[in-house]
Amino acid sequence: MERPDADAAMVELSGLELTYRAAAGPVPVLRGIDLSLRAGETVSLVGPSGSGKTSLLMVIAALERPTGGEVRVDGQSLSALDEDAAARFRRDRIGIVFQGFHLIPTMTALENVAVPLEFAGRSDAFARAAEVLGQVGLGHRMEHFPGQLSGGEQQRVALARAFAPGPALLLADEPTGNLDGATGARVIDLLFRLQRERGTTLLLITHDPALAGRCGRRLSIADGRLTGDETLLADEPVA
Amino acid sequence: MSSLALDRPKAGPAAPTLPLAWRLARRELRGGLRNFRILIACLVIGVAAVAGVRSLSDAMLAGLQRDARALLGGDVELRLVHRVASPEEAEWLRANSAAFSETAELRTMARNPADPALRRLVELKAVDEAYPLHGTLETEPAGGTGLLAEREGHWGAIVDPALLDRLGLAVGDRLEIGEVPLVVTGVLQREPDRAARLFALGPRVLIARQALAASGLEQPGSLIYYHYRLDLPAGQTPADWRGRLDAAFPQAGWRLRGLDEAAPGMRRFIDQVGAFMTLVGLTALLVGGVGVANGVTAFLETRRETIATLKCLGAPARLILATYLLQVLALGGAAVVAGLLLGAAVPVVLGPLLAARLGFPLVPGFYPLPLAVAAASGLLILLAFALWPLARAQRLPAGSLFRDLLGRERGLPPRWSLVAVAVCGLLLALLALVTSDDPWLAAGFIGGSLGVLLVCRGAAELLRRLAARAARVRNPTLRLALANLHRPGAPTGSVVTSLGLGLTVLVAVALIQGNLEGQILDEIPAEAPGFYFIDIQPDEVERFDRLVQATPGVERLERVPMLRGRITGVNGRSPDEMDLPADAAWVFRGDRGITWSAQPPPGSTITAGSWWPPDYQGPPLVSLDDDIAKALGLAPGDRLTINLLGRSFEATIANLRPVEWRDLRINFVMVFSPGLVQQAPQTQLAAVYVDPEAESRLERAVTDAFPNVSAIRVKEALAQAAATLEDIALAITATAAVTLVSGGLVLAGAVAAGQRRRLYESVVLKVLGATRGRLTGAFLLEFGLLGLGTSLVALVFGAIAAWAVCRTVMEIEFVLLPWRAGGLLLAAVTATLLLGFLGTWRALSQKAAPFLRNP
Repeated sequence: MERPDADAAMVELSGLELTYRAAAGPVPVLRGIDLSLRAGETVSLVGPSGSGKTSLLMVIAALERPTGGEVRVDGQSLSALDEDAAARFRRDRIGIVFQGFHLIPTMTALENVAVPLEFAGRSDAFARAAEVLGQVGLGHRMEHFPGQLSGGEQQRVALARAFAPGPALLLADEPTGNLDGATGARVIDLLFRLQRERGTTLLLITHDPALAGRCGRRLSIADGRLTGDETLLADEPVA
Repeated sequence: MSSLALDRPKAGPAAPTLPLAWRLARRELRGGLRNFRILIACLVIGVAAVAGVRSLSDAMLAGLQRDARALLGGDVELRLVHRVASPEEAEWLRANSAAFSETAELRTMARNPADPALRRLVELKAVDEAYPLHGTLETEPAGGTGLLAEREGHWGAIVDPALLDRLGLAVGDRLEIGEVPLVVTGVLQREPDRAARLFALGPRVLIARQALAASGLEQPGSLIYYHYRLDLPAGQTPADWRGRLDAAFPQAGWRLRGLDEAAPGMRRFIDQVGAFMTLVGLTALLVGGVGVANGVTAFLETRRETIATLKCLGAPARLILATYLLQVLALGGAAVVAGLLLGAAVPVVLGPLLAARLGFPLVPGFYPLPLAVAAASGLLILLAFALWPLARAQRLPAGSLFRDLLGRERGLPPRWSLVAVAVCGLLLALLALVTSDDPWLAAGFIGGSLGVLLVCRGAAELLRRLAARAARVRNPTLRLALANLHRPGAPTGSVVTSLGLGLTVLVAVALIQGNLEGQILDEIPAEAPGFYFIDIQPDEVERFDRLVQATPGVERLERVPMLRGRITGVNGRSPDEMDLPADAAWVFRGDRGITWSAQPPPGSTITAGSWWPPDYQGPPLVSLDDDIAKALGLAPGDRLTINLLGRSFEATIANLRPVEWRDLRINFVMVFSPGLVQQAPQTQLAAVYVDPEAESRLERAVTDAFPNVSAIRVKEALAQAAATLEDIALAITATAAVTLVSGGLVLAGAVAAGQRRRLYESVVLKVLGATRGRLTGAFLLEFGLLGLGTSLVALVFGAIAAWAVCRTVMEIEFVLLPWRAGGLLLAAVTATLLLGFLGTWRALSQKAAPFLRNP
């Protein structure tokens, strides 16, 4: 099976700009960001509210089309993708973990994890989903609905769903924001373990300095511009 | 290393859309049907209305068809007026039939000999021993025509129960009709060959044929209809038999009906009322469509997060559309089926109730065509109103999980959905046109309904803008109410549209009925005569005139000769060969009253041609109704062929004159010149204008002196017409009320959809110091304004629709009738208030904590 090339750029942003058109006039959100993330890196993105963190994440996830500059993820230029192509791209290459979990309430834990695999047409979608759920410690809760799971369990299901298709890039937006300290810590441990085992590139938005400190690189953003780029830890080499 | 690390699949072909969409849809439906309740209810009601009305019509027509032989009285029915069949004709009929029966019908006066003041116009029917050839004459006591035999010098009479009440009689009492002594021997329960007439001048009395002969009522020219019913000999087709009959007696002048023409008046009534009620049912379905759109929108609103999540996980737009469309189709389809079942049950439930009223049993059963039309209509409405919100949901940005991107979803949905909605609408309109007996009426109805919908939509927008402009009022309660009318997501548009259309139909029906009743009960009677006296013999004329004019209270007497004849040709062509316009076809149906006169009828104007000289005795000339002439394209010089008492003659149109039927003066479509018609056996028809307080005295005096003369009380006849009209209006109003129920459901749905927001707002406002009284006032004002706005729209457009129908279709004056419309609208405003308030009552007692606590 392929492992990402450690020297390859997983994310490349060149002069990225994002401006919203509002009734009161244009609102610049991202102002000429240049950034490169290597495959396998763990990167935190910190900044005050309204600094453009979420917008940057949405652009990288092909959920928002930039108004200027170039975005390439895993070698694919995102500007060439229409909406359905972008959805397929996310299905195959990107996993997203949300602060609010966003599990589908009418589907069991197993079905939630299997959904992206079903989209990809995999005949072993449910077998694969069961395996991943077992590996996040929820093999005994597969038939439960999100409403029957605790917050921590829901986020673990979300992690399983994000990792099950084997994405090259994982985007996490405040994954512990809705969890208490102990539960959040367990979820984060699981996240980093999965990332390490897989060699997935991780971009993590967080307000928690301790959590940011667990990443190998910390980006600071303010007013739509990158204001800091620190290497904190050496990421474990990709085996 | 975990197996997770080993797996990074290459991108492959996606799963087939429909199977995957169906799997996702089934999982989504686990969330319950709560969000679909209004959608389902609207579809069930609308489909049930269309299916029910059409199934009921078909059940009635099937009943007419099944009982055709009994209703007609045989395979064939021949009718003559003024004369019996000649011996040759009667012999031929008996010899050329497998079974034969003769009856005679006329209107005459019946009296209680014990109390001469008690008398009543009745519809007398004299039957022979073979009657009825088919079906059973049901009487109490049982005995049928056996009860009519002569015993101890008296003939038997079977009477309608209403006559016993009116004349104060019981079975066994004596009855006077003409000069024949009668005893009431039975009460009529069912007459097999009489489908309930919408209008009858008097209750039915049956006597033996010989009793009529002894009554002295059969005089030359008397208005008596002689019916000859017979069954065809084996192996004879009706067409062959008719051909032989025409060849044997080409000039007989009888009206001949076959099995497919049994009870034609009832058949026409069923077709026309059924067609109209079907259109009203379709309107209910149209209003239900607004409920469908609201229901789908509300449902998709609750699924925003799921849709965005699926898109983030890689679901393409078409998969989203297919997933939710399948859910809507599955539940909507189930609702359509439920509506069909309800509609199919309508003939079963209403059949026994209507059978007594109509005089023939309905055939409850499964009628596939009405159900297919209703199903197709329901599905098309479902698609037409669901596709728009579904297509817009397809465009929901996946990024909305990160932030609220409501603005990106606004605007028109994709072009393909607009085309699909337009196609559905077109197919629905075509379906209504193709399945209607009157495509022009259907087109007018559809166009009018769409027009009112659009106008209501515009009125809703106007209401919103007015509310927005008025939002700066100082009164906080009013300000809160106004804000709820124009805030984003306010249900003002859908409520005004759906309630508005239903109310508009109801207001229009109420005003049309009110104006018609006013014509029938107030305006017409003001100018109408008090009595028509019919069957005055020529040798009674002088005595009649003297008697009437000597009666105190009599204001005016008009008297003309009257006969019955049929138009059998126009310029040498048979009416069967002509393409008769709908508004002139009636003049060829059956016999028409005709008269002759040396002078133009009083008050007439001649619009074409000229009147004949007073002493004219030349070839027959005729003065024709102006409207009939225009409809048939006739002018002075054209010729009509008339069959009168078995003889045909041609008359040349000498002039045209407009006939005003509404004043109920003696009027005729055709007035002939003196000469040929003058010499035929005839009676006189008199119209007497009398002080109402003198009516009974006049009636007694005339019918005592002239037992063969029948008195028709005009006001009674008009009252009966008004009562019949009220029944018809009730049926139409009931169907139109279904439209209102659909509108009410939409209102209920809108209230339910805003419940959560309303609860939250109430909590916050209470925290800020708002009292329950202020909140109550705000809610009442909000729904009161909504109801008032809707009512005003309905009043204006309902009145316009009613005006158009009254002036152009019925050609009567239109008066607004504010009390009638206002009462209806007051009820609507009250209902809106109540419904809205009930839905928001919870908000007033809601505790604050659950809403204010951090999640």
